[in-house]
Amino acid sequence: MNRGFTQLLKKDFRLMLSGRFFLLVLGSLVLYSCYIHFVYAKVDQAIYPVYLLDPQGRRTAASDYITVVDGRKALEAACGDRYSVGIDLSSGTPEFYLLSSGAGTADHYRTIWAQAVLEGNTEGQAEVIGSNSREMKNRREITAEFLFFELSAVGFLGLASLLFKEKQMGVIRVHGILPVNRTMFILSKLSVFLVSDLAFAALLTVINLGLGPGAAVLPAVLLQAGILSLIMALIGFFCAVRLPDFKQFSLLYLVLAVFITTPVFLAGQTGVSGGWIDFHPMYHLFTAMKDAYFLAPNTKLPYYAACPGTILLLFLLAHRTLTREMAREG
Amino acid sequence: MIEVKDLTFSYGKDKEALHGLNFTVGDGEIFGFLGPNGSGKSTTQKILTSILKGHGGSVTLFGKDLRSAHTQEFFRKIGVLFEFPYLYTNLSALDNLRYFASFYPKEQLRDPEELLEELEFKRDFLRKPVSSHSKGMRQRVSMARALISNPRLLFLDEPISGLDPTGAVLFRKIIEKERKKGTTIFVTTHNMLDADLLCDRVAFLSNGNIAALDTPRNLKERNSNRSIAVSYLYQGKRREATITAPELKGGIPFAYDEIISIHSQEPTLEDIFIQYTGRRLT
Repeated sequence: MNRGFTQLLKKDFRLMLSGRFFLLVLGSLVLYSCYIHFVYAKVDQAIYPVYLLDPQGRRTAASDYITVVDGRKALEAACGDRYSVGIDLSSGTPEFYLLSSGAGTADHYRTIWAQAVLEGNTEGQAEVIGSNSREMKNRREITAEFLFFELSAVGFLGLASLLFKEKQMGVIRVHGILPVNRTMFILSKLSVFLVSDLAFAALLTVINLGLGPGAAVLPAVLLQAGILSLIMALIGFFCAVRLPDFKQFSLLYLVLAVFITTPVFLAGQTGVSGGWIDFHPMYHLFTAMKDAYFLAPNTKLPYYAACPGTILLLFLLAHRTLTREMAREG
Repeated sequence: MIEVKDLTFSYGKDKEALHGLNFTVGDGEIFGFLGPNGSGKSTTQKILTSILKGHGGSVTLFGKDLRSAHTQEFFRKIGVLFEFPYLYTNLSALDNLRYFASFYPKEQLRDPEELLEELEFKRDFLRKPVSSHSKGMRQRVSMARALISNPRLLFLDEPISGLDPTGAVLFRKIIEKERKKGTTIFVTTHNMLDADLLCDRVAFLSNGNIAALDTPRNLKERNSNRSIAVSYLYQGKRREATITAPELKGGIPFAYDEIISIHSQEPTLEDIFIQYTGRRLT
C-alpha cells in the first residue's frame, strides 16, 4: 500500500511539474514579495486634513494639523475630497463640515479627529497596542491577504487543472480497475498540494516579515494554511471531477472566486465585522489567517471543530464523485 | 470463472439497462459479448470489473460473490483493456507501464520492454512521451498495460479498434497466446469478424437481454440453409446455381463445362445477429 501511495505521489508531482505549476507558484511568490517590499510596506495614509474657517480669529493656538482658509467657498472646496474635515467658526460655535465618505463609522472618526485638533487635544488619543511598527503592521496585513488569496484561488485552480488533465487523458478510469485504494488517489493529490502550499506559506512569510518575526508566526500560520489548503484542494477536486469540461469549471471558478475573496476585500480593506459576514465561512478562515500573522491565533473551539468536520465532509463528497467518474461512460 | 445469474441493473427509475442476464464463462475460455451501442455491453463489463455497484441478481468471479470481491486481491487478478488508450500522455510508454505496474506485487509482473517488443512497439518511441505516439502505438501500450500483471481474467473492450490490418492480426495472436496460458478472456465488441475468429462462445446482447449464446460455429450451422452457390461456364455462357447439401451427394447435379467458383451460403455472424435481434451491430 505504501509503495502504491509513493507511486501516486511521484506521478502527481511529475504532473505538477509538467503543468508548470511550480513555476506559477514561484512567479506569484516573486510578484507578491516585490509588491510588499517596494509598495505596500511603505504605504501610510495621511491623517484626515483639517481646514479651519475663522474670520474673527477666535482661535489663537496654532496647530500643525490645521490649515486656515479664508472663506466658506474655499472650505467647501478643500473638503471636496470626502476625506478632509472642515470647521467653520464664523458663528462662534464650531460647525463641522464634511462630505460623507460613504462609511458612517469613518465619518464619525473624522469628526472626532477634527474636534480633538480644534481643542488641541491630539496627544494620548490612541492607545498603542502591540509592538508593531506601521511598516510591520502593513507587512503582516498584506502577507496574510496574499497568502489567503493564493491558497484559496490559485491552489484551488491548480488541483482542478491537474485533475482535468487526468480526466482528459482518461486515466482516472484506469485507476478504477487498479489494485489501489481510491482514498489513496485523493490523498496523494491532497498531500502534494498541501506540501506545496505550506512551502509557499513559509517562504512568503519569512521573505516578507523577516526571519525573526516570520519564524515567530510560522507555526500558527502553517496551521491555518494547512486547513485552508485542504479545504480548497478538496473543493477543487470535487468541482473538477463533477464538471464535464474546463469551460464550465471556469464559469464556476469566477463565481467561487468572488464568493471566496469577498471577505478579504470587505474585512481586510473596510474593517467590516459582525452581522451577515459572520455567516460567511471564508470570513472565519481569513480572520484566523490574519490573527495568526498578528500573533493572536484563533483558539475558538467551534472553529477547530468545524474545520476537520468540513474537511471530512468534503473528502467523502470527493470520494463519492471520484467513484462515479470512474464508472462513467468512455 | 464467471457465473452470472439473473443480472439486472438500473441507472435510475425506469432506466433498466440489464433485464436478467444469465451466462457462465469457463476457465481459459474466450467469451465474446456482442451487441450494438446501448445494448448493455459496457454496463455488464463495468459490473464484472466491479466499477459499477448496485446490480441485482448474482455475479460470481473466481468462485466469490462480486459484492464481497471488491478488494485489492480481486483487482490484482484482472486486467482491463479499455476501448480508448487511456495513458499519461506526458509520460513515455515505459514510464506509463512502470507506473501502472507499480501497484501489483513484483513477482506477478512481466517485463515492460519484453512485453512491448512482443506487441511490436517501435523501439525508438520507448522513451518518448505518449503524446507523440500514433493511435496504433497507444493501443499497443494499452494492451501492454492490461497484460503486464499477468491477469487470470482479461477484459477486452473493442481490442482491435484503431489498429491497421497487421496490428489486428498481431492482437489476435496475442489474445490467442493468452488463452493458451490459461487466461480467461471476456471480449466486448462490435466486430463480428473478431468475434468469429477469436471467441469460443459468443452472446448476442440486445436491449439488455441475451438473445442467443453459443459457439460461432453452432450459431452459424443452426441457422444455415446448407447450400452452396456455384458459378460455372456452360456452352460458352456464364451461369449461377444454388445447390442444397442433399443435392450434392451425387456430385454436381447439372451439366457444366467449367466451374468458376463455389461459395458456401453459410450465414455470417452478423446475419445471425440480425436474425436474432432484428438489429445491426452499429
